[in-house]
Amino acid sequence: MPLNSGRYLARRALQGALLVLGVLVFSFALIHLAPGDPIIVLAGDGGNAAYYAEMRARYGLDRPLPERLLRYVLAVASGDSGYSFSYRQPVFQVILSRAPATLLLMGSALLFAVVVGVSLGVLSALRPRTALDYGISVFTLVAAAMPVFWVGQVLIIIFAGRLGLFPVQGMISLRARHTGVRAALDALHHLALPALTLGLPQLALLTRLTRTSLREQLDEDYVRTARAKGLQERVIILSHALRNALLPIITVIGGQVGVLITGAALTETIFAWPGLGRLLLDAALSRDYPLLMALFITAAISVVVANLLTDVIYTLLDPRVRYD
Amino acid sequence: MARSLRILLAFALVALLAACGGQAAAPTAAPATVPAAPTDAPTSRPTVAAAEEPTVVPTAEPAATGPRRGGAVVVVQSSDPGSLNPAITTAGPVHTITDQIFNGLVGLDDQLNPVPELAESWEISADGTVYTFKLRPGVTWHDGAPFTSADVKFSFEEALLKFHARTRAGLENVLTAIDTPDELTVVFRLARPYGPLLQRLDVVEASIIPQHIFAGKDLQNNPANLNPIGTGPFKFVEYVKGERIVLERNPAYFRAGRPYLDQVIFQIIPDPGTALLALERGEVDYLGSVPGAEVERLKAMPELVVVPGYGGSGGSFCQITLIPNMTRPPFDTPEVRQAFYHALDRQLILDRVYFGQGAVSTGPISSQVEWAYSPAVLPYPHDPARAEKLLDAAGYPRDAAGNRLTVVFTHPSSFARLGEVLREQLKTVGVTLELEAMDMPAAVDKVFVQKDFELGVASYCNGSDPEIGVRRVYVSSNIGPIPFSNGAGYVNPEVDKLFDEAAALTDRAERAAIYAVLQRQIVDDLPYFWLVDSAGYRAYRATFDGFRVSAGPFLEEAHLITGDS
Repeated sequence: MPLNSGRYLARRALQGALLVLGVLVFSFALIHLAPGDPIIVLAGDGGNAAYYAEMRARYGLDRPLPERLLRYVLAVASGDSGYSFSYRQPVFQVILSRAPATLLLMGSALLFAVVVGVSLGVLSALRPRTALDYGISVFTLVAAAMPVFWVGQVLIIIFAGRLGLFPVQGMISLRARHTGVRAALDALHHLALPALTLGLPQLALLTRLTRTSLREQLDEDYVRTARAKGLQERVIILSHALRNALLPIITVIGGQVGVLITGAALTETIFAWPGLGRLLLDAALSRDYPLLMALFITAAISVVVANLLTDVIYTLLDPRVRYD
Repeated sequence: MARSLRILLAFALVALLAACGGQAAAPTAAPATVPAAPTDAPTSRPTVAAAEEPTVVPTAEPAATGPRRGGAVVVVQSSDPGSLNPAITTAGPVHTITDQIFNGLVGLDDQLNPVPELAESWEISADGTVYTFKLRPGVTWHDGAPFTSADVKFSFEEALLKFHARTRAGLENVLTAIDTPDELTVVFRLARPYGPLLQRLDVVEASIIPQHIFAGKDLQNNPANLNPIGTGPFKFVEYVKGERIVLERNPAYFRAGRPYLDQVIFQIIPDPGTALLALERGEVDYLGSVPGAEVERLKAMPELVVVPGYGGSGGSFCQITLIPNMTRPPFDTPEVRQAFYHALDRQLILDRVYFGQGAVSTGPISSQVEWAYSPAVLPYPHDPARAEKLLDAAGYPRDAAGNRLTVVFTHPSSFARLGEVLREQLKTVGVTLELEAMDMPAAVDKVFVQKDFELGVASYCNGSDPEIGVRRVYVSSNIGPIPFSNGAGYVNPEVDKLFDEAAALTDRAERAAIYAVLQRQIVDDLPYFWLVDSAGYRAYRATFDGFRVSAGPFLEEAHLITGDS
């Protein structure tokens, strides 16, 4: 990459940092202004007024909001993200312990969506207005329209409940506690349904996108030229048309990280998957402010980084793209 | 998709059961099974408790081999407990686990009578203000350190009276000093006689934690809260956040021979539908609260046992209760409250919203707390005509559209089904109910803290003694910004006085007489609309037996009966 794209990246990183700060302030205001407070989590029920007042003071919940925001920003800036109200542990540790499960789930879902989605899209684009094309079209419309929590429950009922092909829930078999290769297979077995659930809407999106994008490319002059040169159709499609068709798809994938995080919250709850999405839901319901804030910031950083990576990959794939 | 519909309905009910401060609890009217396991028979019987100890009639089981040893049980845990220190929290998800790891000074049997636990016996002075506990000798913490009277003193002074909400609220003005004359003697000195003291000393209300681990350190964010060391039947092994908590048998447990299971795995499954399927498929063995709509179907499955019982620690004997805001119109008028109660068909609510599980409430104490409950109160039968007359008299005539008044029902979304039925029933007497659903913390904030509401709802849990869970709802000193407190803003000095009197007595029969007067008085005043005394079901694989019906250490006597785990 040329030198000035390094400068571009630095500028983008700075923008990203400002964006994250904005998200921090905005979400801080949002979650603290929402009705309800974490006092039940902190103090339990059946206490007297003195006790609740004491606990509010102990955790700074009695201070004015601007002061709390300032203290929070200063603490985060000095590297202290605070203690989770419900886990009574530094939030950093809590998030770290739950991140691998979510990365595994999101990674698998994305991989599944890209491989199957792009394949279906190519098939569809090569046989336009055939039964296959229409079939795929209907499938993608239905898949995109179904809400994640519903798909998850239906998959559990059919494939785990009725047919017994997959485990209902969890990430590993707690009773058996396999090791080595069997542990990996066991995890894969548990991963299948949640990854399918989370990946399905992405798959639908990518299929439609691939089809449209590839159809456009196939109408381009360079494809006609290639055909005139007598190149094999396979080479034309895979090496030339698809390569160009994938550019917008990469942009979209980069932008879908946020959607995936939302979907993970639902998928992880249905499948009892011990990841960050469920942690986010639990933190919101219990008003665990420090944990909730840290999760929002983590999510914001992930989205910013994903977009930045997309841009970098773009320059590698398309020599025409230059940032300066 | 009738099944997925059922599961959706199940959602609503379980969430509803979980309403009391997040404690999913499913109490029962009468224990359906008497554990086949031998009951605790200490060699030296306690002086006082002996009189109250019930005779446990052995079931017709052939006295052959005794409970089977070994194996593991997988228990559904509906939410992540966070940290595992039972002395600084009342949270149900924490206590479900820690009540298997820790002990109280006393235990409570299935009839809620105190029985020896860490204290082997106790004596009460004639004036009822000095309790002398003799501790069980030879008890050790899971790390091998000896358990002594210093642990008891430390637990109360540094943890329970500071951070356990209920114990602090109940005992901070009662318990004036704790003396430890020797390693195996603890003396509680009270400011005044306090009858329910022993009921407040079980593992749920007052777990004893190790002084040598916590002394001189911050209890709130202590790393030891994630590696609990107790004296109980099971030892802590690991906690993988969001996924599982694993316990193993404590071979040095002071009740020799117990527990029977080698391992306990709590698996965290937040979705009730998923948990149910996991039980049916055998991935888990024990589900503490079965969605109401599913009970009949599960009962028909030979591989499962479905019995009435508690869901977990903390919230027992709960009552679904509507909270009218008595401090503002329209509910500041007694006639309006009476009209509302007459307009509600509680039997229909029990049948349609709660699948017939439980009983129609008659007043402020659940009929399941048999010794304190009194049915001799003013009945408010379902009588729409009477309700209309009362509303006319209170100055709320029907307008041209037939509407008398509009009331906003502020409720956690888990009560949505109840809201629909209430709206239907109130409509017949000309009352329009507007449904305002929000998530639990927001609803609690609006009703109990901001007090900005007309009609609210809560599942108030009585607990093991009216002093623990009933008093807080009715005394005028508990109106402040406190979750699950006197939300109605009910003030009656006579009631305040009677609660104090009942607490000062030691004899249950004498206390019951006062509670009978209290119930009559409160039902006359009608500060709340009690709907249903909740009951619930738990289910487990038929290969297991011996789960205790009551809250607290429900796994101590659990065991496998056939086959392999």
